[in-house]
Amino acid sequence: MTVTVFEPGSEYVLNHCTKYLARAGAPPPPNDEAAAEAFRAKIAEAWRFPIIGLMRVADAHPELNLVTFVYKTVAGDTGSIQVLGTFGELYRPIPLQPVMFEGEDTGYRAVSVGIPKAQVHTYKYVLDGHYFVDPVNSQRVTLGNGRVWSRFFTDGYLQPLVLEPWEVRILYRLIEQILPFRGKEAENFLKRYYFGLNREQRKADMPKAFRLDDSVGEVNAIDKLLAREEAHRLTDYRLCLRQIDRVLRRQNPFLDPADTPAEEFVELYEKMAKSHGSGDNPIPGWDYGEYGNPAFFLYILRRHAVTCAFSHPKYAGNVGAAGWAFLSERYSDPATGTLFDWRPAIEAPLGTSPYYR
Amino acid sequence: MQDSFDVIVVGSGAGGAPIAHRLAQEGKSVLVIEKGPLLRPHYQVPGERSDFRRDEIYASSAEKILRVPGLANTGVSYYSSHVEPDINDEPHVYKGAKGQDYGTMEGYTAQVVGGGTQLYGSVSLRFTPTDLMLKTFNDDRRSPINNDPNGDVRGEARDWPIDYATLEPYYVMAEEMIGINGTRDNQQKPFSAVKYQKPLKPNPISAFAHDGMVELGKRLGTNIEPYRAPLAVITEDHLSSGRKIPRDASGNPDPESAKTSYVNRYGDPLGLKSSTWVALLSPVMEKPNFSIWPNCVVTHLVSDGAKVTGVRLLDPGGAERFINARIVVVACSAIESVRLLKLSAAADENFDRRINRNPLLGRYFLTHCFGGARALMPKPFDKSKALDADWATDCCATDDFLEANGLWAGAAIYNNTSDQALPLSLFRTYGSQDLDTLWNGFMSATEMRGDKFIDFLDNEFGRGLSISFMANQVPQFDNRIELHPRVKDKWGRPVAYVIKDWHAHDRYLMDVMAQQCGNVLRYGGDPVNHDYPIQGQGSIYMAENALARMANHILGGARFGNDPNDSVLDPQCRAWDFDNLYVTDGAFMPTSGGANPTLTIQANSFRVADHLLSRI
Repeated sequence: MTVTVFEPGSEYVLNHCTKYLARAGAPPPPNDEAAAEAFRAKIAEAWRFPIIGLMRVADAHPELNLVTFVYKTVAGDTGSIQVLGTFGELYRPIPLQPVMFEGEDTGYRAVSVGIPKAQVHTYKYVLDGHYFVDPVNSQRVTLGNGRVWSRFFTDGYLQPLVLEPWEVRILYRLIEQILPFRGKEAENFLKRYYFGLNREQRKADMPKAFRLDDSVGEVNAIDKLLAREEAHRLTDYRLCLRQIDRVLRRQNPFLDPADTPAEEFVELYEKMAKSHGSGDNPIPGWDYGEYGNPAFFLYILRRHAVTCAFSHPKYAGNVGAAGWAFLSERYSDPATGTLFDWRPAIEAPLGTSPYYR
Repeated sequence: MQDSFDVIVVGSGAGGAPIAHRLAQEGKSVLVIEKGPLLRPHYQVPGERSDFRRDEIYASSAEKILRVPGLANTGVSYYSSHVEPDINDEPHVYKGAKGQDYGTMEGYTAQVVGGGTQLYGSVSLRFTPTDLMLKTFNDDRRSPINNDPNGDVRGEARDWPIDYATLEPYYVMAEEMIGINGTRDNQQKPFSAVKYQKPLKPNPISAFAHDGMVELGKRLGTNIEPYRAPLAVITEDHLSSGRKIPRDASGNPDPESAKTSYVNRYGDPLGLKSSTWVALLSPVMEKPNFSIWPNCVVTHLVSDGAKVTGVRLLDPGGAERFINARIVVVACSAIESVRLLKLSAAADENFDRRINRNPLLGRYFLTHCFGGARALMPKPFDKSKALDADWATDCCATDDFLEANGLWAGAAIYNNTSDQALPLSLFRTYGSQDLDTLWNGFMSATEMRGDKFIDFLDNEFGRGLSISFMANQVPQFDNRIELHPRVKDKWGRPVAYVIKDWHAHDRYLMDVMAQQCGNVLRYGGDPVNHDYPIQGQGSIYMAENALARMANHILGGARFGNDPNDSVLDPQCRAWDFDNLYVTDGAFMPTSGGANPTLTIQANSFRVADHLLSRI
């Protein structure tokens, strides 16, 4: 696989890394996981690395993200840091270059490469023949051989990364209780919308729509949030979905929990909403020692469901902007047309702005 | 790396950029230092893609958790803009009602080149002549001041050391140089010249606000009518900054392209919102005598006798550098400017003695008394094609209104148009009071699901109309910015500690003004009986965390004045005991004015620029 290196310039790199990486104390030495852990723990948004950006030239390579790897060392360090990853040729690491400010070395080393959207990759840094995981990025995977690699994914990735298939199925059913997309009317709308997309969009979005079964892709987008920006919430999902599975199995021992009838999901939702801790409206079968506050999980889930249904489609939910289109169709005026005309503000090909790219 | 300049300006927003622009134009060597990144509009990026995005997650992020140990709200969630500082790295701490310390997002404008002018709604109102002479007005008034049993208001009111007539030409200059659209008629302030660009057609929902404001003026007996809220958004090609309105396929200017509700809390990828970067700094960026260093943090000012010799800064890599200057201008937003001065004093005995010649540095910190009313209008409108505000009225800012209502100062009233126009903003601000409580209302409204979710949307989407007021807060000695005794930022420096409360007269004033805002909706929504039902009216003092709230209008703390014993800065915004140290963000204000402060900060900064040109 050949990979193209782009040069967005030092200003781009510094604009996207200084806020997070500039701070008191020396960066961790290479390959010192304990020091890296301590360093990473202090960074407010370590998940932003590597930087998954848009290509700088608006019209070139719409299929690519600009992925920028940033490694922090001290100014003047002459070591040659490289990155090796599944996005490139496996035996050819790519060197990172010094990032300069006013003609002087900042201590940052960076390289930007074009990587197709909707992909997941693993990588390591290489220094003097030693391979080590990214000290800043906390996304890690353990491969079959037991080795740990750093991981990242690009915009619009569609496979679950952190949720198990059974968790995805239960989540899907729970979110049905919150969002309006599974009513008959809404389902019809989504079908019409997805079929009405132009040919190119349909090619891109139809598989997602089918895979997501008449939703706007919220569960997949939640998986992405839990894999990166809100990895701190993955534990809530893990613990809580296990309790939900337990409660449903106790109710229907012979039924897969994800196949539980809708009214029982409603009932469970209502019970969770009223149960703020052990002793407070306890849910039969729920182990409060494992997860003490079912209502709190609903709070998180509500925020996630809505965020994923209505945020920009690059976050992998709101597939083909179906969430926006739902609002756009529902709110309209016979005389003037839609009352949520989102397209003119948004970049092509999703929107129609002639100016905003 | 150049290490010596005529002028160093710390901060690239409303207080710093006008000075940097004027001095660079006049050939002085100028360095602007900005803590945040330099994000450019599309036309300045090869490839035409801006790093400002129309993306609701850019305005308020995914969830983050406050991890600063030992605060009363450690562990809470927060959601910040991509160009706000992270409060785990650099928290603002305020003292809550029960004396406990809380971390807050409030009181940061933005850390990006352009500062708060990148994210603001861009409302660019002038203050009234009375706003600048509240001591004289209240000394001479005929009626008593309500809810002020101890006479604090008269005791603490201050006239500015400059009057409206002195500032007025600089308002004109700011209106021209920044690029502002609006209308002059019906504004209750003198104008020597009108430089406004033509406003765009208002959003149709604002017609209710217009009609309500007309009726309010009638009922108050003055018949003062509304005017188009001045907004720092260009609607025509802008000569002084060289910005052009995008051309449509036929080559005609398309000013409507500015109209999008990705406006308040969003940097503008098209550069039509007049941030200080696009309006003032980028037009001089090619000059060899102008430099801007983004991603650098100033840690201290360094002094020698009555001179500030330069600044110490950390470059983007964290290396410490010292840069010399003949003049140093501090303009990094009131809280952070006061903090920088206090940190400099802590590191330098001479600096300490001179800046703390009286106990006023950090004192008389001000925000605004603000609040308003909200109603759901009879039918939905497309609020996603709007700027931040459409109509404003000065009918609650006249001396007669203040006399009749026992108020010490007046307020501008305007309608918000872009609020809650986009889907996520509707949900995350449902039942929330401020940046610290985003999402809370929606998350806990567990009953809003399925059909009730649809009902909520049917009720609210495109129907909300809110009317806001912005009024003076009574200055109080005890309202102040300190260095926090314990909490440090990511560089190990003490963070700002905000201690403030509302005066009884503030609460009274806010009740009176919120009632007027409610009346605008009652009158405007129901043309026959003038009794349209509203969802509510209220003010910031009623919020649970009222002591944190600042509307991002952070003012005072280094007020200017004629008396060296009663102010931190002289009338030219120079620190009294320094020959060459100036403070020009909102910190200079002795009273907070009855309107959004940005235009006044910009106008004053142009005024100080003239003074500086007379001396270097």
